[in-house]
Amino acid sequence: MAVQTFKLPKSLKEGAKFSFCPGCDHGVAVRILAEVLDELGLTENTITATSIGCSVTIYDFINVDAIEAPHGRALAEATGIKRARPDKCVFTYQGDGDFASIGIGESLHCALRGENITAICINNTTYGMTGGQLGPTTLLGQKTTTSPTGRNVEYYGYPIKIAEHIALCDGTAYSARVSLDTVANIKKAKQAIKKAFEIQMKGLGFTFIEILSTCPTNWKMTPEQAHDRVRNQMMEVFKPGVYKDITAEKTV
Amino acid sequence: MEKNFVIAGFGGQGVLLAGEVLANAFMLDNKNVTWYPCYGAEMRGGTVNCEIVMNDTEEVSAVNLKEADFVVALNQASVERFVSKVKKGGWMIANSSLAKEIKTRDDINYVFAPMTKMAEEIGNIKMTNILALGIAAKVSKLTSIETLTNALDNVIPPHRKNLLPLNLKALKIGYEYDLLHA
Amino acid sequence: MECLQKTKKKVLMKGNYAIANAAVMAGCECYFGYPITPQSEIGEFMSGKMQELKRAYVSAESELAAINMVIGACSTGAKAMTSSSSCAVSLMQEAISYASADELPIVLVSVMRGGPGLGNIYPSQGDYNQAVIGGGNGDYQTIVLAPSTVQECVDLTYKAFYLAHKYKNPTILLADGLLGQMMEPVEFTEYPYPEIDNSSWALSGAKGRNGRIIRSYAPLAENQCVFLNKLYGKYKQIEENETEWEEIDTEDADIVLISFGSPSRNVKSAMKICRKEGLKVGFLRPITLWPFPSKRIAELSKKVKMFLDIEVNMGQMLKDVKLAVNGAVPVEFFNRPVGNPPEVDDIVNKIREIMK
Ligand SMILES: Cc1ncc(C[n+]2csc(CCOP(=O)(O)OP(=O)(O)O)c2C)c(N)n1
Ligand code: SF4
Ligand SMILES: [Mg+2]
Repeated sequence: MAVQTFKLPKSLKEGAKFSFCPGCDHGVAVRILAEVLDELGLTENTITATSIGCSVTIYDFINVDAIEAPHGRALAEATGIKRARPDKCVFTYQGDGDFASIGIGESLHCALRGENITAICINNTTYGMTGGQLGPTTLLGQKTTTSPTGRNVEYYGYPIKIAEHIALCDGTAYSARVSLDTVANIKKAKQAIKKAFEIQMKGLGFTFIEILSTCPTNWKMTPEQAHDRVRNQMMEVFKPGVYKDITAEKTV
Repeated sequence: MEKNFVIAGFGGQGVLLAGEVLANAFMLDNKNVTWYPCYGAEMRGGTVNCEIVMNDTEEVSAVNLKEADFVVALNQASVERFVSKVKKGGWMIANSSLAKEIKTRDDINYVFAPMTKMAEEIGNIKMTNILALGIAAKVSKLTSIETLTNALDNVIPPHRKNLLPLNLKALKIGYEYDLLHA
Repeated sequence: MECLQKTKKKVLMKGNYAIANAAVMAGCECYFGYPITPQSEIGEFMSGKMQELKRAYVSAESELAAINMVIGACSTGAKAMTSSSSCAVSLMQEAISYASADELPIVLVSVMRGGPGLGNIYPSQGDYNQAVIGGGNGDYQTIVLAPSTVQECVDLTYKAFYLAHKYKNPTILLADGLLGQMMEPVEFTEYPYPEIDNSSWALSGAKGRNGRIIRSYAPLAENQCVFLNKLYGKYKQIEENETEWEEIDTEDADIVLISFGSPSRNVKSAMKICRKEGLKVGFLRPITLWPFPSKRIAELSKKVKMFLDIEVNMGQMLKDVKLAVNGAVPVEFFNRPVGNPPEVDDIVNKIREIMK
């Protein structure tokens, strides 16, 4: 049996210290993303357009070229990068608010155009960075600082199922939803990210991974409670799975 | 007369709330008062502090003052950060449970009190902030325990009112702390 | 945050909550917003309070959406508002231009933070230009009110709704992060202004009349000329009637300090210290940034020796001061690029230095 040693991915900046809250899944997501870049040997050929949210600090941790896009505009800037330099690997790492609220126009059209870009969306059912307000994926009944009595349909409407929507776009080559609540699921998440980058580099179209993620701080939960919530509440509505994969025979 | 306080500690020590109670007390005493948090204190840990400026002559106070009449420091980092801000002849009121009893200046007054330990003794270390406030109020002679009692009642939200008696106890213990032996 | 009442009693409140509560008391029927620090408390307060009162509240998907929702609500004559900050107010510029052309009473609360770009969440006055000049297209002008205390946040929020509706003009309450986060005792009186009858223009359904059209499309240059002249006639009226400022000790002053918003508190303190030293220092604080108290500054420039303009930015109001002074006397500048107001001592030193 091979011995696994704990090594930091090379794509992570040396000495970088995550500034995420303790127990936040953002840290895990950034780490597996860095591992994928390592494994595919993409680090030095990659440009990212970062988003605004707790995700913004990714440029402090991952050692790739980066431009900080305005809130919601990452996929427009990524499109510009990819069209100018088609040989580069281009990805975005966005929050649910950035991707599906203020940036929903950019997101859908990027998918519809079939841009060869990989977008990763951290869905934590809230605007984490600004203190936990209601966002596009906030669950019905969920209390946030702008839904003090819980999300009701009359005032707030329904949460969006992002991976399903992106899968509906004809330009999308791959769309999956994963989670980080168990070691097995972290492995699956990493496989999905890897697959997405591989498809991007083959030039087959837009690739998308929605990661169900925790925000212990704004949910006011311990990391364990938060993972329970991912399993028991989020997965009920946001079902993990591959919603589109044009390289596979059959998808969900 | 204008007097100002800085209350500082780490996130979760209830520094902002203690400041709010003090500001409320000054309001109840019909003084002009301004409370503001130190900006940039982010969600993610680190030290937190707020400043309270009390004024009984001017209608509007200046903010971002260079010096402070009273600094209440609930941990070592806050003592270090704010000791230089204490006005000559002013007061550094420090929590000796979490800060060293070292006097680095001889032109200011010090009070060291084991606030966390004292709060623990009444059954809840979360009362450290209010206990500290009691001590600071006594030292400053700028407001009374009666006013502070009303201020606490103002500030504690309805669904937390069950904590009021314990808060009042902490306030009283702080206020009656033997300054001579501090 | 509980507080919806007339208070004879003062309550200790954060600027953001005070603005929100004042808006509710002013009869704001609709709030639309998207969170951004340092003003998210306004939307947070509104989310609970408006639902409780069965008024409209929407967590908009973006600031672009939020301000266009305000336009929609205002087109029916409703009192409606949004609130935001700096980089996000940038997204609203298009709508502000449209609302100006449509002559709609939109109210925008802009709580300034550091810029340009994403900047930071420290207080700033870097959006004087954004509010007063604006980045929308065409000839237009917003009304801009700048509070310096939490009580003034309340009073000027009332006033913002009143002026917006009285003149059918976009109105901005321009606060900063310090005011938004600061707590001071405040009193809420009843909304002190008359309600404006808007039945002559509001969209209400064309019952018994022809359909009304609110639009800015003006295919004929001639019509646009007529419209712009009329619009600028309205602006002139606003300048004549609504210019507001605070002025202290300018009678015998050699130098007049000019400052707006929260930093003006420190400037005022500095002025008082200088007075005690025998320096003849006066103080002028524009409360309406537009209309700007240019006339008064021009008058003063005939008798004082110089002005000192103090801002927390790189010098944005400065050019309006200089325009008003029109070269009559020197206009000095003292600033902090971003953050809390300059310390009182530093302002005093600057005054001593330039008065030497
Ligand atoms: C135009 C604009 N509007 C608002 C903001 C404030 N803002 C910063 S991050 C954020 C939301 C972040 O939420 P999400 O994208 O879900 O990321 P998270 O922090 O939850 O990971 C908002 C509203 C901004 N920076 N720019
Ligand atoms: S606020 Fe929430 S999403 Fe942001 S770093 Fe903290 S736990 Fe993570
Ligand atoms: Mg989020």
